[in-house]
Amino acid sequence: MSRRRLLTLIRREIRATFRDTFTVTILITVPLVALLAFSFSLSSEVHGLRLAVLDADGSAESRRLVADVAASKWFVPVTIASRDEIGRRLRGGTLSAALVIPPDFSRTLRLGRERPQVQLIYDGAEALLAANAEGALGGLVAASGAQLVREPSGAGGVSVVTGVLFNPRLDGAPYMVAGVFGFVLSFLTTLITAITIVNERQSGTFDQLQVTPATGLEILLGKLLPLGGIFALDVVLMMLIAGFAFGVWPAGSAIFFILVSSFYLLVSLSLGLIFSATSNTPAEAVQRTVLFSVPLVQLSGFSFPIGNMPAVLRWLSMLFPATHYIRVSRGIYLRGEGPLTLLPELLILGLFAAGLVVLALRTLEARQ
Amino acid sequence: MSGRIGQAISNMLAVAYRQTLVLRHDRGFLLSVGFQPVVLLLLYGLGISFKPANVSWAVLDRAQSAASRRLIEDVQTTDYFQPPRHVASYAEARTLLRRGAVTGVLVIPQDFARDLERGRPQVQLLLDGTDPITAARVGGIVSQVATTFDTGRAPPRREGMVPIARAAGPIDVRQRFWFNPTLLDRTFFLAGLLGMLLTNLCLSSSSLGIVGERESGTFEQTLSLPITTLEIVLGKLIPLVVVGYVLLIFTTLACGLGFGLWPQGSWIGLLVVTLPFMLASLAIGVLVSALARTSAQAVFITVFFILPSFVLSGVMLPFELMPPAVRLLGVVLPLRWYQIALRRLVTRGAGFTDIIVPGLALLAIFAGLLAVIRWRLKPRLA
Repeated sequence: MSRRRLLTLIRREIRATFRDTFTVTILITVPLVALLAFSFSLSSEVHGLRLAVLDADGSAESRRLVADVAASKWFVPVTIASRDEIGRRLRGGTLSAALVIPPDFSRTLRLGRERPQVQLIYDGAEALLAANAEGALGGLVAASGAQLVREPSGAGGVSVVTGVLFNPRLDGAPYMVAGVFGFVLSFLTTLITAITIVNERQSGTFDQLQVTPATGLEILLGKLLPLGGIFALDVVLMMLIAGFAFGVWPAGSAIFFILVSSFYLLVSLSLGLIFSATSNTPAEAVQRTVLFSVPLVQLSGFSFPIGNMPAVLRWLSMLFPATHYIRVSRGIYLRGEGPLTLLPELLILGLFAAGLVVLALRTLEARQ
Repeated sequence: MSGRIGQAISNMLAVAYRQTLVLRHDRGFLLSVGFQPVVLLLLYGLGISFKPANVSWAVLDRAQSAASRRLIEDVQTTDYFQPPRHVASYAEARTLLRRGAVTGVLVIPQDFARDLERGRPQVQLLLDGTDPITAARVGGIVSQVATTFDTGRAPPRREGMVPIARAAGPIDVRQRFWFNPTLLDRTFFLAGLLGMLLTNLCLSSSSLGIVGERESGTFEQTLSLPITTLEIVLGKLIPLVVVGYVLLIFTTLACGLGFGLWPQGSWIGLLVVTLPFMLASLAIGVLVSALARTSAQAVFITVFFILPSFVLSGVMLPFELMPPAVRLLGVVLPLRWYQIALRRLVTRGAGFTDIIVPGLALLAIFAGLLAVIRWRLKPRLA
């Protein structure tokens, strides 16, 4: 292998990439859009949900209950006159929940013989939202009720003091940001690698390179090293955007994260090579990559927690290198993990990388 | 006048016939139509849920009493958890949390039994906030178990109490989840699935159309025919609309037969509102195709349009939880409006009148796109 020839090839590749404005635009906009779209999308916080209030009692006590619920900012109460209207609005999707206070609420409360009843109705069509609203509203009503009744009732119960580590405000952004790295580094990089190589083969420049003194390995490295370098720059760019735009910085070592990500790029680059070697047109290469990547969004833990899936899918998800990378990425970004605790995942990623590099070289040899 | 319209229709049908012949031989198209719905149906129907399951957790039981063991067992029997690991110290608990090996650690203090006697029992729950949704839910489950925990002082719990109702506290709160009584995430995902499948179908098949023909030179040939560009574009869309309706029927039957989720509202409404949605999605594909210079670019733009639109329209995650600025973006996405209509028709059992607004919005988006396409596709020869 000649260093001079390799450097020439690398210089050529970098120039070619930056001359193609479309690729440059994609390299910048896709991470940006992915970060924007995904980091806002996940939230466990309930905010400004429309809550119908049907206060059939109209007493001081019931009004106090409603005022307590309204004071939280989690819900925006809308006064409603009849049960039919609640039904109509829920069906039309303009309500998230409803609070119904029966006419005998304050009387039962004052008599103190039984516990007064209130009804909470949720729009179950938005299952995730309803689950969040349930936690918030149930707690509000219980807390307000405890103030209405001076003496605590004798029903038992243990109170739980909850402490949340690593993400005390249960903010969705860090979780998603750390996942977006996995998504972009798996999907975008594979796609771009596959397309550039197929494009070059189609336009004949690949054949031209092969008649130069450069060896096959040199051509390959001359292609992959600059691409890998550009993608590594993309990682840094994303870290900066996430940091400055969303205030999400890695809790662990940033350098360690960049190193691991650059290593993970080997996997994506090899996959891109394999897809390019097995397709004839750029469109075909894209189609193959997309088909492979569709399960990536669902199964890699990027958008849906793997732990909740049935065992078969949990095993299946282990077969995607992205699953392991996303774990590592979240470990570093959120829990501040170091190389020691992440060792098993890193080893698995190493195995994937080694296997895919060998496979990519084999496919290329078979192709030539 | 009627002759002109008749001519336009026959022109479009001719283009549609030609397009059908092309599609029949497109392996990628057939694969995405046949393979994708089944995979996504299985994934969303059986696999994906935000409801915690198999949660790994640890217990730091400093009380080691009968009551503390009963509390641990109560948490365990909710079925959300794996058998707990027992740890001996806070340091060990933190190590497990830091490694991501457990989602939560329940700490029962030494004086738990004494506090029970005095009536002020308290336990501590340490949660890994990395995954905020799971953390919040696990916290909720544990608190619920704890508040209904039978401390031995209280009168026995009443028979037939719905477990989800909060038993403790001075107010008896009766909760109900309409349209989805057991709060299955499946109901949420499958109602929006049709929107995802149709978006994939419409965008991926139409976005390659024009740019592909430009590349192979057949587009210029069709320009030489006595036919307008709009007729070509619409004619190409007709077979895709037919395929879309086949997909609609397949998905609806599969959700109904496989998961018991039949549309609760108007079937006719569902069929009607799907048309403007498909047209608008197809028009986006055509626009992409007209903007892109190579077919690889077209697919690229499509893929990276589809994903954010899934997220921002509310089919994958609840729209109401996103910040207001992001929600504004959703207004221009056809999938957003179709999603509204689908949830009303499929889950909430709404009637025809409830889908007028989303339907009109979809038509408006389609009309706007059509105007842009017409302007952009003025006959020009490269």
